[in-house]
Amino acid sequence: MVTAIRRPHWLSRLNAAWAPPAVLDFWLSRLNPLWSWGDARARVVERRPEAEGVTTLVLKPNRHFRGFRAGQHMNIGVEIDGVRYTRSYSASDMPRADGCIRMTVKAVEGGKLGVHLQALAVGSVLQLGQAFGELCVPAGQAPCLMLAAGSGITPMLALVQAQAAAGFPRPVRLAYWARTRAELVQAATLRGLAARHPNFHVHFMLTGETAHAADESAGRIDSHHLATLLPEDGRIHVLACGSHGFVERARALLHSRCLSFQSEAFSPPPRVVDASDEGHVRVTLLQTGRTLDIARNKSLLEALEEQGIKPRHGCRMGICNTCSCGKPSGATRALHDRSVQHEPTQALRLCMHAAQSDLSLEL
Amino acid sequence: MPKIKSRALSPEELDRFGEELDALRARTLATLGQGDADYIRRIVAGVRWLGLGGRVVLMAGAILGGTVLPSLLWPLCILGTVLLGLAKILENMELGHNVMHGQFDWMGDPALQGRSYEWDIVGTSDNWRKTHNYSHHTWTNVRGMDDDIGYGLLRIFPEQRWKPFYLMQPAIAVVFALLFEWGVALQDLRIGRWFAGKMTGRALWKMATPVVKKIGKQTLKDYVLFPLLAGPFFLPVLLGNIVANVIRNIWTYVIIFCGHFTADAEVFPRESVVNETRGHWYLRQLRGSSNLTGGRLMNLWSGNLSHQIEHHFYPDVPANRYASMAVEVREICARYGQHYNTGSLPRQFGTVVWRILRHAFPSKPGPARPLMAAG
Repeated sequence: MVTAIRRPHWLSRLNAAWAPPAVLDFWLSRLNPLWSWGDARARVVERRPEAEGVTTLVLKPNRHFRGFRAGQHMNIGVEIDGVRYTRSYSASDMPRADGCIRMTVKAVEGGKLGVHLQALAVGSVLQLGQAFGELCVPAGQAPCLMLAAGSGITPMLALVQAQAAAGFPRPVRLAYWARTRAELVQAATLRGLAARHPNFHVHFMLTGETAHAADESAGRIDSHHLATLLPEDGRIHVLACGSHGFVERARALLHSRCLSFQSEAFSPPPRVVDASDEGHVRVTLLQTGRTLDIARNKSLLEALEEQGIKPRHGCRMGICNTCSCGKPSGATRALHDRSVQHEPTQALRLCMHAAQSDLSLEL
Repeated sequence: MPKIKSRALSPEELDRFGEELDALRARTLATLGQGDADYIRRIVAGVRWLGLGGRVVLMAGAILGGTVLPSLLWPLCILGTVLLGLAKILENMELGHNVMHGQFDWMGDPALQGRSYEWDIVGTSDNWRKTHNYSHHTWTNVRGMDDDIGYGLLRIFPEQRWKPFYLMQPAIAVVFALLFEWGVALQDLRIGRWFAGKMTGRALWKMATPVVKKIGKQTLKDYVLFPLLAGPFFLPVLLGNIVANVIRNIWTYVIIFCGHFTADAEVFPRESVVNETRGHWYLRQLRGSSNLTGGRLMNLWSGNLSHQIEHHFYPDVPANRYASMAVEVREICARYGQHYNTGSLPRQFGTVVWRILRHAFPSKPGPARPLMAAG
């Protein structure tokens, strides 16, 4: 999350003495759940089905949200059964005059948050992070090729809308892979734009159905497909968004024709990590910027100490909470019952958990 | 001398005792969810509403009582002060103390994170997390390791060496109760070490800086800003804030002293924790802690320290679960022949007062009460 660090105004410091932000937030959210002293939040003002398993939410942020550019994403936090879950989603439309954010959410099998977001009632309030991400259409006149697979379409929709608002000053071609026609998001809108703007072309690539329409093809990403999308000569800007495998394949295939290659790969849904405790994993310590390999067969605290890191700690038996630190990514295994946790957490007790996969820690 | 009520356990029994208590913990943690989140948010709401109510009534009493309705001065100021005192008790005990143990970390709510929560008391949360969460909870009632045994001021157990200084402790104990939050604030600074020349002034100042900042902030809020709001009628507001803090001090002192200093509570020598097993740790927590009866009201207003035993077994389990866990804990303790130390507040605190009076004078430890059977 991007947050500017600035020294608070003396008035707000005096105010903090009367009532700390937590107290102010309590009263403000009683008046209006969207209000907060310092946190960005958003209210769901509209929900509409978009395609099979896909829903678009229109979010109205409060004044603490500092805006976004087309192609950026932001963290959304909701509470499910008492636990706050956070995921980042791209805006699926460019910034509009009403200040609302459109987000297109897919229900992933086994993904709690997507399912929950799709069922959210209009009027619900969500936690919202500041926008981040570098994906953008580069300056200049060179043609631009956008490649999207599955949910990877969302930032591309925003970028295409931003280009449309500018009247497509350069050639833009979008290739969009999906399993079936029913899963395509905003196909009609994209076709409409392509019909109105000679500089914009859209191609739908279906991996689970046969192609019928003129702008449809079948099959996964390959050199044959890409050959039909590329101009005869000259170099192009490429933007790709999809699974890790998709993005890497696109990069390899287009390597020689790119002026620039920007990509965003969304992480796959939590995979089942083998339950063994052998071998080593890579740990990134975010505050000190160190990366090291540690053993999986002992507590994170012991494994880090073995590598010469001295995290602050107390009882070493899970009582005092002194060693707890944030874990934004990666899987850990609880030593007492071997259960595996994939969710990011703000408080992981290092003495009671072992590393299960590569992970990052706020140390 | 209290008679021996609990038997020593064999190493195998200790292991099984620990496993049964661990299993109860795992079963409880597996069921945490919306109900617990709703509970702690209700407590937050209670703290906020009581605090607002107390401050508004106190302010109204001061201003109305000082102008048009003098007859309302005392009733409103007393009511406001009591409400404010209750707000502080609820915040310190059921909210702050439990949240700082990390009991609600699993919710992922930044406002309820154990590592960052700051409570409404002059002591800093950081010092508390060290002296209480670590020292006291890990080394509960181990002499020389748990500073909370008499807080370095009082002789509670005959095992503590007697000094003539302790003759004054009945009076010291009363002053300590009135100023309890200041004792907590200064506990970790160990100013005694500076007096004794074991710590430089510079080192003391470095440790004291965050404490001084927190004291300044609390003093500014309770004793300057809120009284100033009442303008010329600041005096009743100032006095109300002072009394509310003192009410909180006395109540927390009474509850906390009942947790580990009752007649049946035991202290342990340093040797007892060498290579301590999980089962032995549980048994030591049990023998060193005592509960209070009194039902749901007592549970709420004591911050569930009425279940001190369960709290020491499971300091990171949400406190609203202790009452239901206690049924099983009690049954396990009975099966292993262990005394489950509980009683009404007057009875338990009575035995604490007796200890303070009795051990002001020289006294000898009773027969040893081993945790583990030899062999």
